[in-house]
Amino acid sequence: MAEQGVLDVNDDNFESEILKAEKPALVDFWAPWCGPCKAIAPVMEELEETYGDSIIFARCNVDNSPNTPAQYSIRAIPTLILFQDGKVADQVVGAVPKSHLEAFVKKVL
Amino acid sequence: MPEDTCDVAIIGRGPAGLQAAIHAGGKKAKVIVFGRPERSSLYKAHVANFCCSEKIISGKELLEAGKKQAENFDAIFLEQDITETRSENNRFTLVTENGETFSATTLILAMGIARKKLRVKGEKEFLGRGVSYCVDCDANFYRGMDVAVVGNESAAVSGALTLLGYAKKVYLICRKLTITDVLHEQLNHSDVRIIRDTWVKRIEGSNEVEAVLLTNGDVLKTNGIFVELGAKGAMELAANLGVVFDAETFSFIETNKKQETNIPGLYAVGDITGQPWQIAKAVGEGCVAGMEAAKYAKRLADS
Repeated sequence: MAEQGVLDVNDDNFESEILKAEKPALVDFWAPWCGPCKAIAPVMEELEETYGDSIIFARCNVDNSPNTPAQYSIRAIPTLILFQDGKVADQVVGAVPKSHLEAFVKKVL
Repeated sequence: MPEDTCDVAIIGRGPAGLQAAIHAGGKKAKVIVFGRPERSSLYKAHVANFCCSEKIISGKELLEAGKKQAENFDAIFLEQDITETRSENNRFTLVTENGETFSATTLILAMGIARKKLRVKGEKEFLGRGVSYCVDCDANFYRGMDVAVVGNESAAVSGALTLLGYAKKVYLICRKLTITDVLHEQLNHSDVRIIRDTWVKRIEGSNEVEAVLLTNGDVLKTNGIFVELGAKGAMELAANLGVVFDAETFSFIETNKKQETNIPGLYAVGDITGQPWQIAKAVGEGCVAGMEAAKYAKRLADS
């Protein structure tokens, strides 16, 4: 089991932690005022426990880090983007069930 | 107890909410029920499979009778939607569409489920690129832009008023508004541009939303379209309280046999907890939650 949990990323470290990472990464763009974001947070944690060794699970607070979401044209939260080799492999908008998200991350395993 | 305070607050006045009100009231709890009867899926239904009644009963009559029964136990009914919920110091705060605030020891979610999607061309395609289902979540991304909200009820109107704080121009596309007079008054005195007697036919754009085509033939240029049908539902009102949703569909609230959610003092009953969509299941769950919530509130008051 991975030990790091869901990693908090921001505008400053997004490039080093996600884009230049060796592993693929799933980033949850969220904000504290957003109900559906809160609903999906425990799902991210569960997936991290299962797949954390091969995929980075991260979250980016759009309130504190506006530049990164703007770069990816994010206009709804939660938006979850799967990154591989610094590029967007896929993305999903809205609070989706765990099975849906699990199938999503398996694409880059 | 002050007027704006209660032991048990219930959102939704379908059979689940009414039965909860009857049983919580029966246990001498002070109960307030929020919501409109027309929103219950029972309102337009005829019931033939409800145990111990051979006659086909009109749903509307059942709802009226249930209200009277609950009122006999001193339950208070307020025909307003809830637009915001918060939990503070082990109590629940509820804000109504009129902007009134109530405080409750326990909260029973019985608002049912409703269609949230428009089912028009462009809706799925532009999700997250101009189409949004949550003003509270996404308003901030539309600073200085033109946006439209579509819907006839409290979620759309309160959403449009919220967006005034962010967007340049806010349009409200509606057929006929079903909201309280107070909210209507607020809307009429606001800068929201109301487009009445029409609906969204298609959402248009190249890479992101650029316009919506209306059923009256007009084209409205807009950067975003917020779909806010009906009243706020489970995801909007319960998720921010930290409620856990079912793993399979992420649409229903998880409860145990006491109808408790993962949040102490918070219960869920009826269609919102999942299938079957039956009055018998709704009243059964309502009965349990009403009793449990009243007991919980009494225990807290006595401690």
